[in-house]
Amino acid sequence: MSSLKKNRPKDPIRRFAAFQEILGFIPNLLHAQSRLPRLAEAHASLESAVRLRDGSIPRLQKERVLLCIAADRQDAYCSSMDGKVLALLGLPENCIGELLTSRSHKDLAPSDAASLQFCRKLARDSPSVSADDIDALHSSGFDDQSIFEAVFLTAFATYRCTLSAGLAPEPEFALPSFVSKEASKLPNATPRRGTAPHVHAAPRRNGPYVPAPYLSPKAFEPFGVLQKSHGFMPNFFRAQSLRPDLLQAELEAVEKILQPEDVLTRVQKECILLAVSAANLNSYCVAVHCNLLRGLGMTPEEGDQIAVDHRQSGLSESDRALLDFAVKLGTRASEFSREDVANLRGLGFTEEQVLECMVVTALNNFANTLQMGLGIQPDFEPPAAYEENKVHLSTASHRPSPEGGVSLATGAPQDSDGSLVALSQAGKLEAFEELVRRHTQLIYRALVAMLGNAADAEDAMQDAFLSAFRHIGEFQGRSKFSTWLVAIARNTALQRLRSRKNVESLDETGDAEDSDLRPHQLRAWEDNPEQSHSKSEIRQLVEKGILSLPAKYRVVVMLRDIQELSTDEVARQLGLSVPAVKVRLLRGRLMLREWLTPHFAASARRSAP
Amino acid sequence: MITCDEFFAEFADYLENQVSPEVRKELELHLSQCRACHVLYDSSRKTIQIVTDSSSFELPQNVADPIVDKVISRLRSEQDRKDREPS
Repeated sequence: MSSLKKNRPKDPIRRFAAFQEILGFIPNLLHAQSRLPRLAEAHASLESAVRLRDGSIPRLQKERVLLCIAADRQDAYCSSMDGKVLALLGLPENCIGELLTSRSHKDLAPSDAASLQFCRKLARDSPSVSADDIDALHSSGFDDQSIFEAVFLTAFATYRCTLSAGLAPEPEFALPSFVSKEASKLPNATPRRGTAPHVHAAPRRNGPYVPAPYLSPKAFEPFGVLQKSHGFMPNFFRAQSLRPDLLQAELEAVEKILQPEDVLTRVQKECILLAVSAANLNSYCVAVHCNLLRGLGMTPEEGDQIAVDHRQSGLSESDRALLDFAVKLGTRASEFSREDVANLRGLGFTEEQVLECMVVTALNNFANTLQMGLGIQPDFEPPAAYEENKVHLSTASHRPSPEGGVSLATGAPQDSDGSLVALSQAGKLEAFEELVRRHTQLIYRALVAMLGNAADAEDAMQDAFLSAFRHIGEFQGRSKFSTWLVAIARNTALQRLRSRKNVESLDETGDAEDSDLRPHQLRAWEDNPEQSHSKSEIRQLVEKGILSLPAKYRVVVMLRDIQELSTDEVARQLGLSVPAVKVRLLRGRLMLREWLTPHFAASARRSAP
Repeated sequence: MITCDEFFAEFADYLENQVSPEVRKELELHLSQCRACHVLYDSSRKTIQIVTDSSSFELPQNVADPIVDKVISRLRSEQDRKDREPS
């Protein structure tokens, strides 16, 4: 019996004709999601695209892969279905048995054996997959298309096995005796927690492992939609442009699972994706979800804390339990049981919420597997605190227990200011003086940008430093000290701005399309403006130009292009998401370009400042 | 060839040198054939270069030092006063 209470809709799911036609039945795993038809549809969209259609890999081989991954996970529901499907496709019983017992797959064609081994490895321990595995596939005759499909299929296999573990649907078929017999002989091959990348001695060759042809947002409409909704195009989706058909099915699923807020909130879903990605040691996805959470209003520190150990985070007790549930289902499915579901019910979660949490967890495993298998490169840096704790996470068989949890409040690791901060907190003014001198330039520039003039900035800097020392006891080390100091400076600046008549907003989030974004000035510039103008002349022009920008662009340009912080650091210091910083940065740079053009255009006569 | 709009959609990442080789190829093909985008790219790149090299808003040491000194001496006198107060 399914672990969730049944709610058979009066109108049975009709959208799954392909399953009826090709498999001869609609899987109970889909029925088990019928409480929220959009989730069943998301699943159907993925499954019919990658499993039920012919692609670069023949169907028979796809079914072999699915069966082996299900058996490796001791997933009785999926194994019984896949064994049956293989039999229907005409594979003799002894061959199916052989599939389950043999690790070398000598009876298969070498290329089939190679792809099967690759997919099993990817499903079992995705962080261990490297460019070498892809090279091996290439040398056994696989082209990029087939490699892509193998990765996508494996990602889908982790999706359905995660769901099957959570929902425990009734098997359609009795587990064929040879499956249960052989499966029980296998060593316990439930998915391993990944090994931290540092154990790989050789430097890893970076991905992406398959080419991603340019796919314009015009030609491929979903890209346009995505760019609008995210404000940028994540590499994750770009990297899948080799197979627009699969990508389209995936985007449909993602939208149906993540977009609606009628069951779990967007923030809850992002927290699930973050916590489970972290437990899967997937830095790429951790970085993405930290940023998306920042875009939803969470502080960078809170996001980092969820990545390192959500139990120590400031989330509500029930949300922490939701994440416990998701992490267990996502990474230790074999330990998962009905009690876990009952526990969430006890905390007041509805059947729909539990179901959606399971599906979001499954989607997360799909995404984590796909990212590792394709070697997709990050858009953002993962939080340093998470990277440092990864070693710890990979060796622990469980996430740290509440008592032994990892709290970032115990001192930001990588911060070179750490010991000076501790001394300052003990009242040592000499230490504080040294701290302040280290960051004078940063704070001054941040204040000039926020306040819009130098004299005010000098004044405000004094206030900011005084305030920093008076409140230094409150600094908990959840962020770098410099980030905290910028936040203090920001408060000081806001107080001053409020007392002024014309309040200029630093925060106004409406980055809606200005007509101003597209360039007006199309005069070519001199070849080498830095040689034809004196340094002091250029500096005066740049300072004037920057002060002419609206505050929110001024701050970003100042920290990125003048203070030369990375985009990621700027985002942290200002508590913004990286995409938001990127948008502001581009606007600011383009405005500055317009402003500077009359001075540096090729035909412009040099004019004295 | 891609359109100017498509070029502009990738522009921010291109300036930050964060596009894949495949995308870069498309963008550079466009740049080689579209004067307007070429001018936009060239002047934007130079803008960033100039701004970064300009050492703008550098607070001279002889302005920074007295500010820090003032802060520290004020905090020191606050500490002294506290120490003298009977607890």
